Amino acid sequence: MRTLRRYRIFLFTLPAILVIGMFFVYPILLSLRLSFTDFTGVGIASDVGWKNYERIFTRSRYLDAFKVTIFFTVIVVFIQTIIGLFFAALLHRLPAVRNLCRAALFTPAMMSFVIVGYVWQFIYSPFNGGLNAALASIGLDGLQHNWLGDPNTALFAVAFAHIWMFIGYTTAIFLAGYANIPSEIEEASKLEGASNWQRFRHIEVPLLASSFTINITLSTIGTLKTFELPFIMTRGGPDGATRTLSLHIIDSLFGKYKFGFASALSIIMLILVVLVAFLQNRYLRSREENT
Amino acid sequence: MKRFFYQSLPLVCAGALLASAPVAHAVTLEVTAWKGNDSEPAAIPDLIKKFESANPDVSVDFSYISRTDTDIVLPPRVQGDNPPDVMMTDMPLVKVWGDAGLLAPLDKGEWFDRLTPPVQAAINTGDEIHIMPLEVIGMGNFVNMDLLRQVGIETPPITIDALKVACTKLDEAGIKPMLFPGGFSAPLYVIANGLEAAPQESSALGSGEQLFSESEAFIGTLETFSDLADAGCFDPEIQAGVDPWSTALSEFKAGNFAMMAQGAWNIASFSEAENLDFVFAPIPSSKESGVALDLFGIGWSIAAKSDQPDAAKRFVEFFTDNDNLHDMLVAESAYSPFVDGQSGVSQVAAPYDAARDNGGTIMFPFSVLEWPKPLESEIFDSMTGYLLNLDKDPADVLSRWDEIIEDQ
Repeated sequence: MRTLRRYRIFLFTLPAILVIGMFFVYPILLSLRLSFTDFTGVGIASDVGWKNYERIFTRSRYLDAFKVTIFFTVIVVFIQTIIGLFFAALLHRLPAVRNLCRAALFTPAMMSFVIVGYVWQFIYSPFNGGLNAALASIGLDGLQHNWLGDPNTALFAVAFAHIWMFIGYTTAIFLAGYANIPSEIEEASKLEGASNWQRFRHIEVPLLASSFTINITLSTIGTLKTFELPFIMTRGGPDGATRTLSLHIIDSLFGKYKFGFASALSIIMLILVVLVAFLQNRYLRSREENT
Repeated sequence: MKRFFYQSLPLVCAGALLASAPVAHAVTLEVTAWKGNDSEPAAIPDLIKKFESANPDVSVDFSYISRTDTDIVLPPRVQGDNPPDVMMTDMPLVKVWGDAGLLAPLDKGEWFDRLTPPVQAAINTGDEIHIMPLEVIGMGNFVNMDLLRQVGIETPPITIDALKVACTKLDEAGIKPMLFPGGFSAPLYVIANGLEAAPQESSALGSGEQLFSESEAFIGTLETFSDLADAGCFDPEIQAGVDPWSTALSEFKAGNFAMMAQGAWNIASFSEAENLDFVFAPIPSSKESGVALDLFGIGWSIAAKSDQPDAAKRFVEFFTDNDNLHDMLVAESAYSPFVDGQSGVSQVAAPYDAARDNGGTIMFPFSVLEWPKPLESEIFDSMTGYLLNLDKDPADVLSRWDEIIEDQ
């Protein structure tokens, strides 16, 4: 009887296993295989052993890209989570305008990366860009800056555009988390005289643990893989300041016809994403359980 | 009645055969290109109509595919059994696809002998030829003559010394002299001046036989950045990260800067700007001619698995006719790849033409595969970094280029 049950379970999961195997495992294995070749995208691939990986680990530009990727991710995830939580907390207390504001916050995410990239590129333009023009109009000419052209500010500028684009998602997830907080708890805390800050700090934040998990996990994975805005706004510049690993992969694939090398970078990116996601999720899940 | 039917049957059959005759000989030729759309027509739609008129048995099915999408969309088709018959290509594509046996060899016909020597040498690196060149396009210095006249300068600066003088006058008059983004304009200046002064062939540098970091020509060229900055040509920290493909173009087009090194493909766009009195000049250099940095851009290639090889060859041959090609060259502001071809560049490029006539032509090494393509982005990056800190040792900056060469 137990054997039959297991057999049935296996049969029910078989389609999903096939889909995962076909569209996830097989491409990864193929990419792994290609990472040991000099494949150019067409023709015959020749084995080059560990040469591609040796290049990655011995050239500073790829280590720099790794650092950029991590730093960019930290900036985006941290700020996006904080701001999203703030908006959610605010909208939770303003039910009359909640839906309208939620829709407004979600609008940037509906735009294409190209549009967002070019809009923010114009805003950041050192000559008559929106931001510098605004600073000049209020007498802060001294703060005008080449935001995308300075390595010290470019990554933050791109990150801000990324955050602006996806803050709606984060807010929506936190709002969903708020909806799951029992109203009785909230009412009880009010009756006990808890202030807004006390309710937020000691009741809402702990009870939003699962929302934190979802938000941080999705944001991290998505940001680690991102290449769109850095590609459109700065093309990885100035001088590599915004060149993420993903951007290196894209450039290797379609700019330099180094599919084998790009595959090696992809494998490393995969390991990075899986490792970060695993550790992060493990920590966040444990935090949920302790709530 | 039956008699009438049998008597008319042969006539009906004959008519049917005659009516179907044109259809039986008609073929459809699929052509792809990253020009020919509304924003960059390059006269291709009109030329296709002209080709179809001259070849009534061939119908051309044209598809615009951007350059980036060409790298993504076409390889699976070219490797599979569904390639376009004729594709717009450039030398990097020809290198990859040709080496993989995906492009049909082209006959070295009469048109091959008419090619200019640099272009002929570029496409004839192996046993086979896989591209029929369509254009050579200039990369030089756009100069707003109205702004220069405001400071008493009547001709575009051709030498570096003249450039410094012009910059100083412009700067003193409160006019922004130069756009010099590290992402394109600065590299053009460096490549042009470095190669002009270098004693060795550019291919020696591109192969690693000669190191950039040991080249006095390139080191000296980088050292001139400080001189230009001191002359007021540009603020290096501001110019370093300016986007050369959007911000820089719009700033020059708006008349906010006096000079900018860019490609001649911008002539058409700049010509649309009212009150923009500009010329296209060579890149200022140490020689009196300046440098006309020519880029061998695009050409036609035929897929090895084309179902219509004969029609494809006729299509390619059509563009070897100078009268036909000239329409494209005018639209592109480009030069003919043929010795006997007529230039498509307008009078605004007279200074650049003069540089070419005076022996100032240097072929952009990436376009003729003398330098590997991965080096291009590294040059852009390193020039940006150098502009951000002109105190760096030029040899250290150039060693980054050597590292890329080593990785090939």
